[in-house]
Amino acid sequence: MTALAQAGYFDLAYYSRLTAIVRGWLELEEIDPSLLPEPDDADACRRLLFQEARYIDQHRLEEWLGLFTEDAAYWIAADVTGRDPARTISWEFNDRRRMEERVDRILTGKAYSQLPPTRTVHSYSNIELIPAGPDEIHVLCTFEIRTLFAGEYGLKAGWNGFILRREDDRWRIVLKRINLFDADKPQTNLSFTL
Amino acid sequence: MSQHDRARDYAALFRPGLVHRDLYVDEGIFRQEMDILFGSTWVYVAHESEIPAPGDYVTRRIGRRPVIVTRDSDGGLNVLMNRCPHRGATLCRDDRGNAATITCPYHAWAFDPKGGCTAVPARPGFGADVDLARFDMGRAAQVESYRGFIFAAMKPVPPLVEHLAGAAGVLDAWLDRNPGHPIRVQSGSMPFEVRSNWKAVYDNAADGYHVLFSHESMLRVFAQRYGDVDMAYYNGDFDASALFVKDLGNGHTLLDQRAEMHALSAWKRQHVLPGREILWEQLNAALGEEQALDLLDGSTGSGINLNIFPNLLIIGNQIQVLEPVSANTCVINWYATTLDGVPDEINAIRMRMQEDFPSFGEVDDAANFEACQVGLEEVPEMEWVNIARHIDGARRTRDSDGHWREPISSDLHPRAYWAAWRALMDSSAESKEKAA
Repeated sequence: MTALAQAGYFDLAYYSRLTAIVRGWLELEEIDPSLLPEPDDADACRRLLFQEARYIDQHRLEEWLGLFTEDAAYWIAADVTGRDPARTISWEFNDRRRMEERVDRILTGKAYSQLPPTRTVHSYSNIELIPAGPDEIHVLCTFEIRTLFAGEYGLKAGWNGFILRREDDRWRIVLKRINLFDADKPQTNLSFTL
Repeated sequence: MSQHDRARDYAALFRPGLVHRDLYVDEGIFRQEMDILFGSTWVYVAHESEIPAPGDYVTRRIGRRPVIVTRDSDGGLNVLMNRCPHRGATLCRDDRGNAATITCPYHAWAFDPKGGCTAVPARPGFGADVDLARFDMGRAAQVESYRGFIFAAMKPVPPLVEHLAGAAGVLDAWLDRNPGHPIRVQSGSMPFEVRSNWKAVYDNAADGYHVLFSHESMLRVFAQRYGDVDMAYYNGDFDASALFVKDLGNGHTLLDQRAEMHALSAWKRQHVLPGREILWEQLNAALGEEQALDLLDGSTGSGINLNIFPNLLIIGNQIQVLEPVSANTCVINWYATTLDGVPDEINAIRMRMQEDFPSFGEVDDAANFEACQVGLEEVPEMEWVNIARHIDGARRTRDSDGHWREPISSDLHPRAYWAAWRALMDSSAESKEKAA
């Protein structure tokens, strides 16, 4: 498994490394049981995911940002085949800076696509942990998000690919790649946090 | 005569500076638009770079008609009805692909990429000497490409370039920003589904009036972080600025921000995006600063919204296509573009930039289009939509090319396209009456 280094954040080498990781997820076979993370790490990673989902559902977006590393990315793919983001459009592919701008925008109170904010309830299941080094664990999980905006109820579904890293003894999110099962089909308002 | 064909007195739905809510909410009018309006003019279907090789195809719509756009073995372009001539089944069920033969999944009738029927199983059952040409696929009456943009018409119409009128020259300018580097449409798309009538979307396509308000959250965040960037030039008396809207003929319009956006450097006006600094550095190192900036400027903020009635909108570096679904639902499909023959860093920057406005700006517009639809549907006592800004013509000037321009916040755009809408719908209604 390719490790995700910090250097060259959002340059072509970064895109190549990410593409290789996503391909690995799409072709994943049985995870070697002898390589599974230590139970304590596995437990910490699961708790991080649930905390992440809870912060979104509670509209605690600044605290949500605090769960991500300085070189993090929030990525909603617009294709379902793992194409190279260097020449493929995504619904959103935000570095840390654009993640913060996104939260700032919603918090202006003038973001009409989030006025009032979309109510959500996130459910994560089918959680699989993939070891990727002493301080890096990848997590795949499926998600369902119930939504309510402007009187319309909705449901978004798919799977997430997380890259988690241990920094100063805390697990943090380096990448959240959201893979809507219908990412390449028409989507209603995606301006809430998926 | 079905309800769809019944001629309506559309004149009652228009007053100076006002259009009636029925035009946005009435399903019967929507069906007439799909059948008559989209059936009697040039409609954009695809870009040639989407189907470069023989057998390549994409599936699209002309109004609601499902069509297959194919490249045949002679390199020709075909726009075929995605409806089996036998029983009506959808022939091609993938969005895109490559096929030497299109075979109906129901009774295995087979067709070539030109739409010619090549085989029907147990053929003598249709008569001993049946001619397969009787079973060819339905096709658009006319297909033409303007510099890669493929348009189709369901009935004979004047040549495409005549229809494009003033829009052709603006499209040329958009395509010629990077000489020697043609655009390629192979990078996916963002199809937004919006719960509003397609014209509530189209109304916005050259609306310089909403920018400071609908996009306040976006403008505020980027101004706070980066100062005078992006569309900050709208601040103040925007109608006295160098920005303008223009009627290009046949319902086509232009919103032009180039005088401000390109005054110095489009790239330098552009707020930061993921990878900006490192990719700029790498391009400078590889090409030198001057050539790097040329390429970056050519891939940043085209500064125009070019609207080709009824369904093609060029915005920034994207090709936006409207796909009406019903009276109150529309898909806005944003096709991403790359350039041929430029460093990969440029195309990576184009991708991250083309994600920017849709997620920071379009989302708020979409919420407002949906809110308009709710108001139009739910308050029958309030019948009218106002499109009267600058209708007095006091600030109208004739451009050197003979087309009219007005201040940036004018409603010239809706007035221009509604005139084209009426010309198409009324002339079809008249000819139907004559035929009857």
